[in-house]
Amino acid sequence: MRIDTYRDYFESMPCFLSVQDRDLKIIAANERFVRNFGDPEDRYCYQVYKRRPEKCEDCPVERTFHDGRGHRSEQLVRTLDGRDVSILVNTAPIRTPDGQVTAVMEMSTDITEIKQFQDQLRTSQRRYRSLFEDVPCYLSIQDRNLQIIEANRQHREAFGTGYGCKCYEIYKQRDTECTPCIVRQTFADGQAREHEEVVTRRDGQKLNVMVTTAPITDPDGEIESVIEMSVDITQLRRLQSKLSSVGMIISTISHDLKGLLNGLDGGMYLVDTGLKKGNQERLDTGWEMVQRNVGRIRSTVLDILYYAKDREPDRQDLTAAAVVAEISSLMGIKAETLGIDFTTEIVAADDGFEADRQALRSMLVNLIDNAFDACRVDKQKQKHSVTLVVDGDEQEISFKLTDNGVGMTQEVLDKAFTLFFSAKGSGGTGLGLFIANRIVRAHGGRIDLESELGQGTRFVVVIPRRQPPGEPAEELEETASCDGLQRAAWHEAFGDPEETEPDP
Amino acid sequence: MKMADKKKILIVEDEPGERAWLAAFFGDHGFDTETAVDGEDGFTKASGGGIDLITLDITMDNQSGVKMFSNLQRTPATQNIPVIMITGLAREFKTFIERTRQVKDPAGYFEKPVDRDELLTKVRELIG
Repeated sequence: MRIDTYRDYFESMPCFLSVQDRDLKIIAANERFVRNFGDPEDRYCYQVYKRRPEKCEDCPVERTFHDGRGHRSEQLVRTLDGRDVSILVNTAPIRTPDGQVTAVMEMSTDITEIKQFQDQLRTSQRRYRSLFEDVPCYLSIQDRNLQIIEANRQHREAFGTGYGCKCYEIYKQRDTECTPCIVRQTFADGQAREHEEVVTRRDGQKLNVMVTTAPITDPDGEIESVIEMSVDITQLRRLQSKLSSVGMIISTISHDLKGLLNGLDGGMYLVDTGLKKGNQERLDTGWEMVQRNVGRIRSTVLDILYYAKDREPDRQDLTAAAVVAEISSLMGIKAETLGIDFTTEIVAADDGFEADRQALRSMLVNLIDNAFDACRVDKQKQKHSVTLVVDGDEQEISFKLTDNGVGMTQEVLDKAFTLFFSAKGSGGTGLGLFIANRIVRAHGGRIDLESELGQGTRFVVVIPRRQPPGEPAEELEETASCDGLQRAAWHEAFGDPEETEPDP
Repeated sequence: MKMADKKKILIVEDEPGERAWLAAFFGDHGFDTETAVDGEDGFTKASGGGIDLITLDITMDNQSGVKMFSNLQRTPATQNIPVIMITGLAREFKTFIERTRQVKDPAGYFEKPVDRDELLTKVRELIG
């Protein structure tokens, strides 16, 4: 090939070309080089490229002179107009016919834009990684076999690493797929999905989560994996449950009040007409009704207040003797008025224990009131008695309350401590027993209940004498409802309305 | 009104106070009354004859009250006695029992606290 042709190639290469001698002086340069860095004019490459007074520490041209091989490196250089340019340098030895390296060609490609793209990509990757890792929900990515190929920090902390494990093993501690599996569904149709689930953390805690899935596609648009995002809604569900409990409480109170108002109204009618007719017996009956229902209003209000506060027990040192004495004086007169034989007895040797005095008194009064009402309503027996026996051992103290009143059916017994319980005969409010149970549970104790219809009822309250460090009172599940109980009665009598014949 | 013309109302109610005031109330307004303490007692007395109207309280766990209503409906001797139901529950229950087509609806339906005047109007409407 002719020299001119080589000259043309040299001039027209799309990169900066220069040729240096052993002293690193530039002895030739192409037009692009001259345009960007100026005419070399016998200057050294480090002066022209780097504006340095001495040679670079790691000079690829020097290395080529040294070992006769091409070298590559990345450098940052400055153009005539002050621009910083990233270049990829490749060197090549120029030899004499006898193989001596007399000069080295330096070819530099402008990679500034590429480097910028690289930096942006790195920043972008870092940002997405950070987003994935730190977002406050559980993220996992599954392949078509439902194996977890990626999981974020919260997921790893909650469920363990789980790479390669099936998602249902990690989330649900199952060995089979869930049905339905929204991850599978997303793989099938590429649609994002949402579903509420209950999952189990590796520490055993159960969580309510709202799960969303979305497909991840490859450049060809094929679904290669599915991302699963789970947001913890446990607190939300708990609040909902509490709200619905509050709703039920309000319904209970409203139901109780209706009954009380009815009784008050009836009592007032009897008092009013009794006065007008001069009928003393009617007047007495009516007045007793008024008094009793006002008492029930008082109980309801106290129950509401207790429920609203829902506080931890304020534990004090008490003695069984003091508690019993207080109860006797509170309830003795009422018992006498109703003609009920009310007795108390302390069997336990050790007298002392720890409890919230007010709450305990309130609870016992509630139970005793119920017992009195059960007796009042019972027409089968002439003589009625209610006994309170305090017993126990070193660990626990028990309060046994027995009456020979009207008793309860099994069905009523089963629902005794739920909201809406208010056996007609007891006169207790729907909240009363529920709260009594709550007080006992808050003390770490329990209430046992036995009853026989027509015979009587026995409550046994057992609480630890000394309290272990506080475990919070359990949330009491409310399954019965006023409407529910009455529907049950209706079903039993008439069958399910849904099964009746349709209208002709 | 002559004694023979007095209509008789059977009051089925397990709360003594409620029985007392209903009996006094109906008595004051020219009716004879009889009382029953629960569903069984009520059905026995209704079957005995001479009852023109029944008021039946079916609040809460008074299953015997519901059973009594069922028995009344299924017994020729008692199925035509008008029954006024008194309940502590809301409108939903009324809707619920109206959907049960196997039984006739009660003649009247009152939610506590009962409006005495309305109750009396209804009773008069049913039995005069």
